[in-house]
Amino acid sequence: MHIPDNYLSPETCLAMTAAMVPVWAVSVKKVKDALPKDKIPKMGVGGSFSFLGMMFNVPLPGGTTGHAVGGTLIALLLGPWAACIAVSMALLLQALIFGDGGILAFGANCFNMAFVLPFVGYAVTHLIAPKFGTEESTKKRDLIAAGVGSYCGLNAAALCAAIEFGIQPMLFTDAAGNALYCPYGLDVAIPAMMIGHLTLFGLVEVIFTCAILAFVRSAAPEMQLSHKESHTSMPLRVFLGALILATPFGLLATGTAWGEWGTDEIAGTGIGYTPQGMVDGFQFEAIIPDYSVAGMPEWIGYILSAVIGAACMVILFKLVSLLKKGSSAA
Amino acid sequence: MRILSRILESDTKRNDAKLPRILPALRLSVVLLCILLCALSRNAVFVVGILAAELARLAMLPPQRIAGVLGRLLLPVLFTLLIMLPSVFLGHSRTMLTVTMKVTCSVLLLLLANEEMDWKDVTGAFRTLHIPGIFTMTLDMTVRFLVLLGRLADAMLEAISLRTFNVLKGRKRDRARYMTAGGVLGTTFLVSQRMATQTYEAMECRGYDGVYRSYEKHRFGWQDAVYALLIPVVIAAFIYCQAAI
Repeated sequence: MHIPDNYLSPETCLAMTAAMVPVWAVSVKKVKDALPKDKIPKMGVGGSFSFLGMMFNVPLPGGTTGHAVGGTLIALLLGPWAACIAVSMALLLQALIFGDGGILAFGANCFNMAFVLPFVGYAVTHLIAPKFGTEESTKKRDLIAAGVGSYCGLNAAALCAAIEFGIQPMLFTDAAGNALYCPYGLDVAIPAMMIGHLTLFGLVEVIFTCAILAFVRSAAPEMQLSHKESHTSMPLRVFLGALILATPFGLLATGTAWGEWGTDEIAGTGIGYTPQGMVDGFQFEAIIPDYSVAGMPEWIGYILSAVIGAACMVILFKLVSLLKKGSSAA
Repeated sequence: MRILSRILESDTKRNDAKLPRILPALRLSVVLLCILLCALSRNAVFVVGILAAELARLAMLPPQRIAGVLGRLLLPVLFTLLIMLPSVFLGHSRTMLTVTMKVTCSVLLLLLANEEMDWKDVTGAFRTLHIPGIFTMTLDMTVRFLVLLGRLADAMLEAISLRTFNVLKGRKRDRARYMTAGGVLGTTFLVSQRMATQTYEAMECRGYDGVYRSYEKHRFGWQDAVYALLIPVVIAAFIYCQAAI
C-alpha cells in the first residue's frame, strides 16, 4: 500500500499533503492535551510495531504481495490521534531511510495508512464492541471487535489508495492519450487492490492486531493508555526483539506489491509502455534502499533495517516526550 | 569544560545502577575494537551493523540521556558532513555517507561507553590492560586539572574584568588584552605546577609508588563471560563483511 513516487501526479500529492496538514496539527494538539508525558515514548514502541508489521510481506497468487500496518492496534492502545502521529513517523522513516513509499507521495500514504486506517479501525471497533459478548467476557469481546475494526480499517485505507491510483489516468494524460502517471483506471485499480486486502492481507492485519493486542494486555499492560505504569516491561522488549528477528520471513514473498513496481517493471505489467511522468519524475536515493545492504544476504539487511527502524522510532518519541512539560518519564 | 565536569561528577555518582556491572576493561576493549574495525572496514556493511546495535542501545536509555548523547553527537557529525561535502561535487556522494557513518558510529560508541562507565572505571580498565601507571596518572591528572585550572582561569578573568576600566583604545587596548591573557596563562601555569607537586606529594604520603592499584575487586562472572563473547563475534562479523564484497 506504500505508494511510490511518480505514481501520483504532483498535484494529487500536494492535495493529499494539504489534506493531512490539519490532521497532523489536530493530532499533535490532541496528543499534547490527552497523552501523559510518560506515555509518549510508548508511541515509539507502537510505531515500531507498525514499522515491523509493514516488513512482513505476505504473497498472494498472481505475484503480488501485501502486509499488515498495525494502525488500528496503536489506535486501540494509545488513541487514534497518537496512532496517526506514530504511523506517520514510521512512514517518514521508511520513505527517507529505506525508500519504501515515495517522498512526494508521503502525504497520500499518510492519508491512507496514518489517518483513514486508524480512525476507521478505531471507530468500527468502538461501534461494534458492545454487540459482541457480555461485560463478563470483556477480553474476548474486545479482541473480536478489534479484529473486525482492523479489517475494516485496512480495507478502507486500501480503497482510498486504489481511488488515488485510479483517478490518475482520468486526469493526467499526454497528447497521445497515454497516462502520465499510474496507468490503471478505477476499473482495474479497485479490484486489484481490494481482492488482496479483502482476503489475505485483511486476515494478516486481523491476526497481527489481535495477537499483539492480546499479548500486550496480558504481558505488557503499560502500553495501554489506561494503565498508569509507564516503564517498558521486559516481555514487551523481548517480544519486540523476537519480531525484529522474525522480519526475514517477509522475504519469503518474492513479488512486488500492486502499484509499487519500479519504473523498469511497469511496462511489463500489461500496459506495454512506461508513463512519461514516471520516466521524467522525481527520483530519491534512500540510504538503505528496499531494506537491503549492498553485498549482504537479504535477511541480514532486513534484520539490520528492522533494528534501525525500531530504534529510531523509540528514540524519536522519547525525545518528543522531553518537549512536553509534566510528570517525568520513566 | 562541561564534559570534563561530568567526568569528575561521575566519580562520585554512578550513571545507571541498573546496568549490569561488566568488567570495565572488557567494555573498553569492545568499544576500542569496534572503533578500530569500523575505521578499517572497506565497506558500509559492518558499520551499518554496529550503528544498528548502538542505536538499539541508545533507544533503551531514558529520554534525558538520549537527548544528551545526541546533542554531543551532533557537532562531530555536522563537522564531518561539512568536511566531506566537496566529495559530493566530485561525484562521490557515497564516500561522504560512508565516512559520516563511520564517524557517527565511533563517536556514538564512545558516548555510550561514557554513559555506562565512570571515569574511575576507565582508569581501572587501563590498569587491567597493563597500561603503564605513568600514562594513567598523567591522563587522570590532566583531566582533573583541566577542570580545576579552567575554573581558576575563569575566576581570574572575572576578577580582572571587574577591576579594569576600559580607557585604552585601538592597538593599546589590544596590547593590554594580550598582556592580561599572558598574565592569566602564566599564573595558571605556576598554580598548576604547585598543585601538581602538592597532589603528587599527597599521593606519596598515601602510599603511591608509581603503580595504579584498583581497590574495587571485580570478580569475573557469567555476565562478563557473555560480554567477552562479543569480541570474537565482532571480529567474525568484520571478516565476514569484508569477504562479502
